[in-house]
Amino acid sequence: MADSMEDHLPGSSVPARVMPEVIAPGHTFQSVTDKISGIVLTKRTPIGWVLGFAVAFVFLMLMNATIGYLLVTGIGIFGNNVPVGWAFPIINFVWWIGIGHAGTLISAILLLFRQPWRTSINRFAEAMTLFAVACAAMFPLLHTGRPWLAAYWLFPYPNSMGLWPQFRSPLIWDVFAVSTYFTVSLLFWDTGLVPDLATLRDRAQSRFAKVTYGVLSLGWRGSARHWQRYETAYLLLAGISTPLVLSVHSIVSFDFAVSVIPGWHSTIFPPYFVAGAIYSGFAMVMTLAIPLRKFYGLEDFVTMRHIHNMTKIMLVTGMIVAYGYANEAFFAWYSGNPYEGYMMYNRMTGPYAVYYWSLISINAVMIQLFWFRRVRDNIALLFVLSLLVNVGMWLERFIIIITSLSRDFLPSSWDMFHPTSWDFALFAGTIGLFLSLFFLFVRLLPAIAMFEMRTIVPEAKLQAEHH
Amino acid sequence: MDRTYAAPADIDARRSRAFTAGAVGLVACAIGFATDRDHFFRAWLIAYLLFLGIALGSMALVMIQHLSGGAWGVFRRIFEASSRTLPLMAVLFLPVLLGMGTLYSWTHADHVQADEVLRHKATYLNLGFFLARTFVYFAGWILIAWTLTRWSRRQDEGDASVNRKLQYLSGGGIVFYAFSATFAAIDWIMSINPHWFSTLFGFIFIGGQGISALAFTIVVSASLARRAPMDTLLKPSHFHDLGKLSLAFVMLWAYFNFSQYMLVYAANLVEEIPYFVARTSHGWQYIALFLVIFQFAVPFLLLLSRDLKRTPHRLVVVALWLLVVRFIDLFMLVAPEFQSTGANLHLLDGEAEGGVYVHWLDLAAPLAIGGLWLWMFFTQLAQRPLLAFADPYLRDALESTGGH
Repeated sequence: MADSMEDHLPGSSVPARVMPEVIAPGHTFQSVTDKISGIVLTKRTPIGWVLGFAVAFVFLMLMNATIGYLLVTGIGIFGNNVPVGWAFPIINFVWWIGIGHAGTLISAILLLFRQPWRTSINRFAEAMTLFAVACAAMFPLLHTGRPWLAAYWLFPYPNSMGLWPQFRSPLIWDVFAVSTYFTVSLLFWDTGLVPDLATLRDRAQSRFAKVTYGVLSLGWRGSARHWQRYETAYLLLAGISTPLVLSVHSIVSFDFAVSVIPGWHSTIFPPYFVAGAIYSGFAMVMTLAIPLRKFYGLEDFVTMRHIHNMTKIMLVTGMIVAYGYANEAFFAWYSGNPYEGYMMYNRMTGPYAVYYWSLISINAVMIQLFWFRRVRDNIALLFVLSLLVNVGMWLERFIIIITSLSRDFLPSSWDMFHPTSWDFALFAGTIGLFLSLFFLFVRLLPAIAMFEMRTIVPEAKLQAEHH
Repeated sequence: MDRTYAAPADIDARRSRAFTAGAVGLVACAIGFATDRDHFFRAWLIAYLLFLGIALGSMALVMIQHLSGGAWGVFRRIFEASSRTLPLMAVLFLPVLLGMGTLYSWTHADHVQADEVLRHKATYLNLGFFLARTFVYFAGWILIAWTLTRWSRRQDEGDASVNRKLQYLSGGGIVFYAFSATFAAIDWIMSINPHWFSTLFGFIFIGGQGISALAFTIVVSASLARRAPMDTLLKPSHFHDLGKLSLAFVMLWAYFNFSQYMLVYAANLVEEIPYFVARTSHGWQYIALFLVIFQFAVPFLLLLSRDLKRTPHRLVVVALWLLVVRFIDLFMLVAPEFQSTGANLHLLDGEAEGGVYVHWLDLAAPLAIGGLWLWMFFTQLAQRPLLAFADPYLRDALESTGGH
């Protein structure tokens, strides 16, 4: 044994761990920039893009029609009614906000943890965050039925009626949490885009593209001073974004947990909601990344390493969510509170039991597949599983909101919730908005950060060693 | 250069000093046991939870390290040695079992019969099931810690086939740890007040173990870094990593505790609020504030400093302080549920009638358990090379320069 130790200078003869690369071999500064900017600067729009955008656009129009009808008619078009006063609008709000969290985690926390694999997925994950938050933010406004009055319901501005929002309500904290989140995410995304917009400006052929990208790139020349300021700003924004990953969904969870309703008032809600948010967000990143890399041939940049790592993050956060389910079920019994006990019994055996068991099968049982490397290697299967996770997380919010409201303390006021087709139309419409924005983003802006990718090609390492 | 990475020679002196301290503490505890049995059990449980937290938290961190990699793998042997104290911790749990009648009111059949909620909970809170669960926790923990460290030794001997197995065991082990630690927290702490419950309690317990394990590892590493063989291997960047992890756990601790407090405070329900009424009145509110400031605000602000995290002799001061406040925090979790004096320590309905009361046994018990625990820890640390030199992540770890 002593001999073998003589051979082992620390880290010299022991092979380093073999992992798939974060970028396929053979790429240079030139090839990375050509490939990514080519997607945007090409004059020919791929037919697949046109078809995809058309479908998304149809749903976007459905959203507009629904909103129009809603504003003319009122929120009676939705299925919400006593006792289920909160239904699809808040389910969809929480679902969309949760999805945004993966973008922030990738861009901020993985940057602070120096994880180089974030580089090729951060840009479109951040775009996804913005679009998801935009979809989410519509629901609290629209579910009031009269969004033009929302200004004094939501924002504390001194008005002649002497009306103030209820500051002790988490719903008001939500307004600040979500608007802060949107602002910081937008700044972060835009700051990261500036050097790439300058690249597009320099490479664009048409006058219009040159001027547009030129204006957006804010006079970036790539001088050493620019880069130094840029790095500082980016790191600061990452620092500011990091607490937002935890705070936004914690405050969303307070919307429920502060209310004294069986199934809602649970102290584990903040971390459990945050984990669920990251889990669903990574599922959405996968849902978008898998077709994107296939369609544009970006397999060299979004490699199996990315797919593996994202699956592992989904496994970890999904297990925390599953822990939350087990925990809720145990404490519903352990509390000795008959209402809590009945809430859990009703979830498991009541009229919505099929949705409860569906979400358990997806979020607690199915995700165990992610333990297996063979599953993590199977792109087609992962695409299906990531879609299912999106469904599972939507069902989770459905179960939390609907089962608790439809049967609370007084059996005489129990009633079922039945969604209307307008409920589904608005939800499908926001998916249309999300996808339309995403299609436009992929066509008009570099979906992968070119300048950051250039730092991980082998050339960059060589240069760094020579300097 | 010596490549056996053997522990410095003075580790034997430390072992015997630790043992002497433990023996003195044990004698004091024996006197306490004979004269003031009720306070002995309370003090023993609190001190026990601190050192159990270091051992279990270290075991969890070893598993996370196997799964995630990262430059902090250079500290793996210290985490491993801490986790190998678990058999001793199983033995030291015996006084808690002896004291169950004092510590846990639900062990009294007449009391349970008179209380509807306790009758409901008796399926879970009963002596047989409690003992069975305790056995499962310790059996599982010891099995995991022993297997991980046995494979770690085989890795030293050049057997690369264990690398994959270490990852598999860590994956399953972390799941077992999360659930077992949660239920241990319910059994050993939450059920002191059998009416009270909080779904976040398991995470609070686990997060606290993370702080304890990291703080202890910083203290030991800072001392090892001053002499061969670790003096040439441990770099500021490695301490930087431990400092960052400590900062993250300090923030998590605050996040969990704030969430729990805010939600219970806002709802103000009869079955939940007594826990915080007891902890925010009769003098306990000063300890609560003290913890907010000194387990969160001050360590948080200090650990933000990059220079401090990269300077071992300054980081170690924060780490030692964190261990002290962890003890006070555990005191805060356990002690307010008991009256300050008298034979019947119970406040069965969570009403706070007594004030803050620190008994001399509250200092003797940590001396006894801490001394014996450190003796076991140094014994384990001396048996292995101080560096897990065959770790597949090690090359990256030793090259790490750290950032931000």
